Amino acid sequence: MISVKNLKKSFGDNEVLKDISLEVKPQEVVVVIGPSGSGKSTFIRCLNLLESVTGGHVYVTGKDLTDKKTNINEIRKEVGMVFQHFNLFPHKTILENITLAPMNVRGIKKQEAEEKAMVLLKKVGLADKAKAYPDSLSGGQKQRVAIARALAMEPKVMLFDEPTSALDPEMVGEVLEVMKQLAKDGMTMIVVTHEMGFAREVGDRVIFMDNGYIVEENEPVELFSNPQHERTKAFLSKVL
Amino acid sequence: MDFRTDIIVDYMPFFIKGTLLTLGLSLAGIFIGLILGLLIGLGKMSTNKLVRFPFVWYVNFFRGTPLLVQILLIHFGIVPLFMSPSNPIVSAIIALSLNASAYIAEIFRAGIQSIDKGQMEAARSLGMSHVQAMKLVILPQAVKRMIPPLGNEFIVLLKDSSLAAIIAAPELMYWGRAAQGQYIRVWEPYITVAAIYLVLTLSLTYLMNYVERRMKTE
Repeated sequence: MISVKNLKKSFGDNEVLKDISLEVKPQEVVVVIGPSGSGKSTFIRCLNLLESVTGGHVYVTGKDLTDKKTNINEIRKEVGMVFQHFNLFPHKTILENITLAPMNVRGIKKQEAEEKAMVLLKKVGLADKAKAYPDSLSGGQKQRVAIARALAMEPKVMLFDEPTSALDPEMVGEVLEVMKQLAKDGMTMIVVTHEMGFAREVGDRVIFMDNGYIVEENEPVELFSNPQHERTKAFLSKVL
Repeated sequence: MDFRTDIIVDYMPFFIKGTLLTLGLSLAGIFIGLILGLLIGLGKMSTNKLVRFPFVWYVNFFRGTPLLVQILLIHFGIVPLFMSPSNPIVSAIIALSLNASAYIAEIFRAGIQSIDKGQMEAARSLGMSHVQAMKLVILPQAVKRMIPPLGNEFIVLLKDSSLAAIIAAPELMYWGRAAQGQYIRVWEPYITVAAIYLVLTLSLTYLMNYVERRMKTE
């Protein structure tokens, strides 16, 4: 589904991603953990080219994003993204937030798009907020809408960039619950997070990143109970 | 001090004619200035330095030199190249539009750049093209923020149109000066002219406040 080969990314002289290679299979849930500044957010943003890539290759559904001939808009239709700060469109209602891209990018008719949006809103438990504006929602509700908005494009992969980091603690659960359901439904997911509980429970694989490298990757149980590298041990001892 | 209202009454038809032209000049300046301003603002935001260069210097020139100088240059230098004799109304419209567009370009640029970059990222991540994201997500939000500074600019433009009197465009200020010359009186014509300008700018202020409120409740 996603294949990353020797990915490198620099901001000026600062090399943030040094040599990242990773394969993600369909329906797999990969959780990326690591300290701040380890490059995990930059890494996930390279997977839909929100960050330009300095070196290496990123293949999504078989197409090379680093190839100039690839139409990135076509790829992005298949790759949903959820941001730390939600990034809902404040001038649109919740329903319009969800239908905007399907109608304008996929060319779906308004009525059909709205019906589908309502199904998604029910799924994330916010059907009663369809006519509200984002400003009137809590953080947890906003993030659930953001997930519904990404799902409305019927993506093949979902990227989550620290989806619960900007939330009040009591709202983290409701967002993770939606994500768990999504994983259960068979969505391919890459999740950057600090929620170790989620990583352990939902992840098929956990990746520990530090200083621009993948230091260690393993099944969650193995990685958390029996980390191989000193750096991983040090990190886990602080967060667990 | 005696105040000769008969001067004002005598000149009222001219003041009315002048007011209409002042409004016309201002509306033309606003309209053309908005269109040019949007194009120049977008050009100034180009990531390509060479593309940006002429737009940057357009703004530098029209914002950095006096409007009076621009009016004289355009009326006596530029317009005669394609019009003889040059029409002061045409010259005034060109000068006001070009001058306003420099300021409006900056208002557009600031408005667009004030929108959180996460909005563009979210739109692009959903598969929208840059143009779609601008049209559907960025501009609708940016326009709201542009309303107050645009209102400001329109008021400045309306008042600055009085400079067209210098090239004998028969707008409000022109008739004020004419009355002063004819009667050798200062207070009556200029107080009247000032009052009319005040009425115009206050009306514009209320109009812009109304537009601002309308956009907020939406």
